[in-house]
Amino acid sequence: MAEHVILFAGPMGAGKTTAVQTLSEIEVVSTEAANTERNVVDKPTTTVALDYGEITLDLDDKVRLYGVPGQKRFDFMWAILKERARGLVLLINNDAPDPIGTVLEYLEEFGELVSDGRAVIGVSRSDTAPVPTLDDYSDALFEARPDLFLPIFTVDPRNAAQMTTLLLTLIATVESRTPEGALS
Amino acid sequence: MNAVHRDPEAIALGHAALVEMRVIAPSLVFASILTDDGFELTHAPDSAIDGGRFASMTSSVQALSEAVTRELHIGASEYVVIASSAGHVLQMRIPGQPLILAALFDTHEMLGKALSTSRRCAELLSTQLRNL
Repeated sequence: MAEHVILFAGPMGAGKTTAVQTLSEIEVVSTEAANTERNVVDKPTTTVALDYGEITLDLDDKVRLYGVPGQKRFDFMWAILKERARGLVLLINNDAPDPIGTVLEYLEEFGELVSDGRAVIGVSRSDTAPVPTLDDYSDALFEARPDLFLPIFTVDPRNAAQMTTLLLTLIATVESRTPEGALS
Repeated sequence: MNAVHRDPEAIALGHAALVEMRVIAPSLVFASILTDDGFELTHAPDSAIDGGRFASMTSSVQALSEAVTRELHIGASEYVVIASSAGHVLQMRIPGQPLILAALFDTHEMLGKALSTSRRCAELLSTQLRNL
């Protein structure tokens, strides 16, 4: 059985915990703490270490799903988890301040995974914040990293079909970049 | 309403509790009080240790230890010890508050005394914050 370790990264409020919960077929291990700064993002809790879930895509592919904290002050967790990861789902809430700038910052932070294209971008909350558009993201990404092509989707992290499509796209990309296709 | 880590009264009480803790346990190298989500309330003594970083890591470790406790169905998490060759870190919740106490002791301190000192500080601070 091939095992894939996939990270879910992005700013606080992008929907990482929800995405892992939506996809996981086991009860998610979560590390939620009371959110002190509700003036920044108005939600009661925030992830302070990781979320962990699992999904079996077919008989041969088990995917371990790790959500990382969104805040930069927890970047030591990013460093720990990205060493194990073979792919990155970068989620961005379109109603964030400067969402495109935030995406580019995260792509820099997870450079090892991004540089050979083992990443996809999911834009959440585009129903309530229609701009920037996917074309805006593509143009900005091309301008900043013309060497890079990353699939970009609009997603609702609560929607299992959409999240599965995003994940399968990433898995296909990761396998195409790994000679044996088997990852751990 | 101020977040607890910006409340001057809570910060003053926390700092005084940490200073007293160091009087009782001179082997205390560094101690911090922080929110569940890793914001530092206060620390003592002044040190080269990055208090913000220490608070963030403490928050993650606390949450991970409680996740393990939940997964294994072994009741409520009481404290966490990280023992190493040159010192040990002890951390625990402040009872009834969304706060964590974390303390770094050098190896001159017996773990039992470090634990009792930390517990005393956490309980004292809990009472004081409740009376604010």
